[in-house]
Amino acid sequence: MAGGWEYLGKLKGYMQEILYGMAIHDMARQLRRQRGSLEHLFILVSMGDLLGVPVLPPYYCLRLLPFVVPEIASWKRRMLRERDLLDALS
Amino acid sequence: MSAFALMITVLCGAAGYSLYARRIDRNTLRTDRRKATPAVLYHDGVDFVPTTRGVLFGYQFKSIAALGPIVGPIVAAQWGWLPALAWLILGVFFIGWVQDYAGTLMAMRNEGMTMGGLSYRYLSPRARTILLSFIYFYLVLFMGAFSSIVARIMANPDVPIGLVTLTLAGVFADHMIYKVRRDLRTTTILTVALALVGVWVGTTGVNGVVKLINGAVGYTAVIDGQTVPNILYTTPYGPMTWPVWLWGILALVFCYFGSILPIWQFAQPVNYISFWLIFIGIIGAVLGVVIQHPGFADFPAFTGFMARGVLAPGVDTPLWPILFVTISCGAVSGWHSLVSTTGTARQLEKETDALPVAGGAMFTETVLGVLSLVFAAAAFGSFGGYKLVLAQGAGAVFAGGMAHFLHVLGIPEALGGAFGAVFLTIMGLTVMQLVLRFMRIASAELLGDAVPAFRNPHIGSIVALLFTLLILWTGFWQRIWILFGGSNQLFAGLTLMLVTVWLAGAGKSYKWAFWPGVFMYVTTVAALLVTAHASLQAALKPGLMSAFVFGNLLSAAIGLVLAILALILAVDVIGAFAQARQRKVAMRESPAAV
Repeated sequence: MAGGWEYLGKLKGYMQEILYGMAIHDMARQLRRQRGSLEHLFILVSMGDLLGVPVLPPYYCLRLLPFVVPEIASWKRRMLRERDLLDALS
Repeated sequence: MSAFALMITVLCGAAGYSLYARRIDRNTLRTDRRKATPAVLYHDGVDFVPTTRGVLFGYQFKSIAALGPIVGPIVAAQWGWLPALAWLILGVFFIGWVQDYAGTLMAMRNEGMTMGGLSYRYLSPRARTILLSFIYFYLVLFMGAFSSIVARIMANPDVPIGLVTLTLAGVFADHMIYKVRRDLRTTTILTVALALVGVWVGTTGVNGVVKLINGAVGYTAVIDGQTVPNILYTTPYGPMTWPVWLWGILALVFCYFGSILPIWQFAQPVNYISFWLIFIGIIGAVLGVVIQHPGFADFPAFTGFMARGVLAPGVDTPLWPILFVTISCGAVSGWHSLVSTTGTARQLEKETDALPVAGGAMFTETVLGVLSLVFAAAAFGSFGGYKLVLAQGAGAVFAGGMAHFLHVLGIPEALGGAFGAVFLTIMGLTVMQLVLRFMRIASAELLGDAVPAFRNPHIGSIVALLFTLLILWTGFWQRIWILFGGSNQLFAGLTLMLVTVWLAGAGKSYKWAFWPGVFMYVTTVAALLVTAHASLQAALKPGLMSAFVFGNLLSAAIGLVLAILALILAVDVIGAFAQARQRKVAMRESPAAV
């Protein structure tokens, strides 16, 4: 009986995932893209200061450091990735 | 018979998936759940994000299932229900899943490259440019075919109010989610309910306003024993009426806003509400078919090798090659490889998810195609009844079928018909917005340096819309559909050829992709040439107005250009294939030398 409930629970999980994929996933991707392009801009503006040019980083950059550092790896990937016209369809 | 058709499709799909597709997945491409996918390797938080297979299955299904699997089987039923059913089942079994799955896996094993990048890598730099030009022309036909279906449905006075309410509900949803920041569940319930009320209001006396607009212009004439009001001008295919002309323009204005405005402000929330209406409609229709499980009455299984009036009124149209491109989705479709290479391949968490997501969604889409065929064969009582409704467009057949099967659940036929019509309209419009957005970016990219005006998003969109309008106003809707189907299926053939080159180069068995690719290639080039010839014949008829001549010449020219581009690509494919085989032989004889 416990196995049956577990199976039903799994099935419910799958159905929820499929419904999410059909209804919301595309919307979430578009929002991610929007956020990504804003992040590009932000990191571009603040990167010089964050690297210490001028030598003494401004106070606001030190405050931002913990939020920006985790994003740098994915930002680099996005910036350096070769793009194709068909990317516009995604 | 209808329930039997659905059941046999599900059984054949299950057999194809578990006996054939799984075998290829395990023994030939040897997917490995431990191998890092591009989503994991290049995780950038935007395009490359590992996503579970359940979510991706839903995403893939929604992205591939548009008007294609619905309209194609309805038009193809003119040869009888058996050829359409057979092509849907056998097509997906031997070709459809192969293209979707292998295309996805090829992109996944090539760092998530798009079709442009893949053709550059495996064929030649020239192949990439040709492929991109091919895609632009293919999308012109895509817009023409979809708009010709949508305009005819919107001419029904029960439809526009529902559609306008749905658009307003979408804008309202955008306000609730992003401005007021209400939770998604409340927003969904409120806005979907609003859209459904709008569909109902559209069937009441309020639609008198639409009737007034629809009846404002044009003259009445008796054509083939039927009184046709509001005629603007006549064509050799029948009259062009004011409502079709007007609502065609308004549908394209809708797409224009979807293309120009920020995606989250208009297209995204409207598409979100639309999804729920489509979801409710499919569930309702399937329930209706299962409960009533009607027979096909006197609907013939096979009407003969020639069907009258498919390419043009009164003209006999051969089953091969035309049926195979008329069902331009549901059995196999080139659109799928575009979607899966740019979206799905970059999000798969594990290699082993490629088959359930890409192959599984394709097999499921076939069920939608068969459901549409059941609508055509079972909802109108006879073959004559179906042909009579088909004269108003495939949308009318689908809406009539939806009304019939929702009525089984107790929903009034008028409301069910309006719901089916709105369902089909939004299914077309959601994809058309995306395509138009892509076309304006493509024209800016390809022509922006030579003609700077194309960098302006409004100019790029308007030029694409003008092409669309010309095709819409001057072409025979069934022929435009077939021309679009030809280009769509040809793209599938080219994808299969590219997959063959990739497999041959990797030293893997390739015949399971090669022979379907050859079949699709030969069939679709033949179909494009036959259809272009029909358009040319229409254009050269004496005494036609110049726009009509030009529109048909444009259709014929696009068909011919696509066939020529495909021939050039075939030359590159043959060269690349020979090179790949030589590499394989060299690798076998002297592995160290390679």
